Amino acid sequence: MFGQLVIGGFATGCIYAVVGLGFTLVYRTLRMVNFAQGHVFMAGTFLGLVIAERMHLPALPLLLVVGAVAFGLGMVLERFVFRRLYHNHEVFIVGSIGLGIVLMNGVRVFFPEPVPFPKVFGSEVVQIGTARFQEAYLWVVAATLILVVLLHAMFTYTRTGRALRAVAADAEIAGAVGVNVKRAIGLTFGLSFAVAAIAGVLIGPLYFVSFDMGDMVGLKAFSAAVFGGINSIPGTILGGIVIGILENLAGGYISSAYKDLVAFVILLLMLIWRPTGLLGRETPVKV
Amino acid sequence: MRMNKLVTALVAAGAMVAAGPGLAQDIKLGVVAGMSGPGTSYGIGIRQGAEMAVKEINAAGGIKGRKISLVVVDDASNPAQSVSAMQRLVSDGVDLVVGGWGSSQVLANMEVAERAGLPYIVVGATNPKITTDKNKWTYRVIFTDSVQAEQIAEAAVKRLGMKRIAVIHDANDYGVGNRDIFLASLKKLGVEPVVVVPYQTADKDFTAQLTRIREANPDGLAIFGTIPAAPAIMNQARDLGIKARFIGTGGLANENLMTLAPKASEGTVLTTYFHEDVDPEARAWADRYVKEFSGGSQPPRPVLAAWEYRAIKYIAAPCLEQAGTDKEKLRQCFANWKGKLFSVPGEAYFDKTGQLIQQSVLVEVGNGNFQAFKGK
Repeated sequence: MFGQLVIGGFATGCIYAVVGLGFTLVYRTLRMVNFAQGHVFMAGTFLGLVIAERMHLPALPLLLVVGAVAFGLGMVLERFVFRRLYHNHEVFIVGSIGLGIVLMNGVRVFFPEPVPFPKVFGSEVVQIGTARFQEAYLWVVAATLILVVLLHAMFTYTRTGRALRAVAADAEIAGAVGVNVKRAIGLTFGLSFAVAAIAGVLIGPLYFVSFDMGDMVGLKAFSAAVFGGINSIPGTILGGIVIGILENLAGGYISSAYKDLVAFVILLLMLIWRPTGLLGRETPVKV
Repeated sequence: MRMNKLVTALVAAGAMVAAGPGLAQDIKLGVVAGMSGPGTSYGIGIRQGAEMAVKEINAAGGIKGRKISLVVVDDASNPAQSVSAMQRLVSDGVDLVVGGWGSSQVLANMEVAERAGLPYIVVGATNPKITTDKNKWTYRVIFTDSVQAEQIAEAAVKRLGMKRIAVIHDANDYGVGNRDIFLASLKKLGVEPVVVVPYQTADKDFTAQLTRIREANPDGLAIFGTIPAAPAIMNQARDLGIKARFIGTGGLANENLMTLAPKASEGTVLTTYFHEDVDPEARAWADRYVKEFSGGSQPPRPVLAAWEYRAIKYIAAPCLEQAGTDKEKLRQCFANWKGKLFSVPGEAYFDKTGQLIQQSVLVEVGNGNFQAFKGK
């Protein structure tokens, strides 16, 4: 039982982590929280559904195409919506909540009820000891690992990545030394949309997909980011996996009706003990 | 679109009536149900049943020369929105409401109908608390959880020979209502469940619950929930290697069950509200219904459509004919209604609480369809 709960929780946790990365990326750059993230994840799932059904793409090309399209959409939305909102945190919060609701109801028009997602990652069941799970779980875990390695490599070794980090550290100075700050912020939104959409495609075949699936995942992913330290990429990954495993163990051993409650109480206690999250750093306040 | 045609027909008919003798106003019939959100596949059936019944009544000349016009409101399968949906029907001045899907939604929206003194026939909610001695204006045509949960408990033990029964249920009014009656019925039959676990309606991943169920090694798994959770539970249970046969009540009685869990739902035994093979009239209706609604954006969903249709055609329409749109007279007419409905064996009537008393139907999923249950 323990093994089954941990493996299931680990896979769900990876999804929280990848969606949470979207929160982290935007937060690092703008110090603002994009509350549309959960719904972007949901929209990404449906984007994947439409592409998978129309073009019959196999798994890997599907992930790449959805990631690329979502990246483009993120850039476009940044240019026409977010850029007008991020001058003020309150405006940005309300704006992003609004955008999320628009996305959700937009999808609801076309898909009013839950639908199955094509089994692009196979439907075999894998057995490890007494634990059994769909092979799609392996894709979730592998894709999470690859995404983290790619993001890390980009931030450390590429010029664009360093520019993004410079903007994250101090946008004004980065701008003064020649970094195109607007472009960097656009790229950040593109990336955050891409990771959320990829997470959506990964989870799609495991469950049915529905227009309201972004609510809870968005909340858990945000918690994952805060839990691990919202300005830390490894922290967010760790936070997602910890929440995923904790809620599954709580559901299995304590109460399945209150599994969210148990997970969030632990989260709350942890934040009282370490307000910056597991791996987060204090953000210095500029005077 | 069919709806548009219907509206056009109604408008045209209304214009003719208005131009004719007197100024006979349309009778306004309200329909509330979840036509988006988790209840969509049930709510659409309710809407289709209403459209079909009203179209037929109007084509045959209406009620004493007055046409019926439908006012359909989507409550998004959400109790809070269901309250505002019912308020909208009240402020629209509807003469009666036939509809309602989901116990939590109906328990919330019936309060509005009760306060407004609006006759309300519930077709799609089964929690026993809906029809008690407190409701004056609310009537219900589908049988309650108590009838269904008791019947499925008896079938599980006596006809399917289950000895180790596990229960997984939605933590909402529907799931808890079913669980309580099911467990009480099992106790009377001398069977203790091996494990009972709840889940939340919006849950997607049931690994935690199903892992506990697998530990208990059951030979039968009762699922008290609705779509999409129920088929998701079935799929995930089979993935985890649970071989127990599934049983359940009316929450599973939806054709979408076989779409979402094509392999896993096979062999499931459940109580339902309608089956076309009970009598020839039911079969004839189902064929007509499927023909009328095939090819649209939503596939035909006969189970609740049949109730909505029968409630309007056989209960609401004769009462409107007899009592007119006076709300108090209409309510009394429902209370005294007695009659024959297709797919319901014997005569049906409302008891003192406004509950329609009738026999229920047991079906089994086989070859992707609901079939009349032929077990021992």
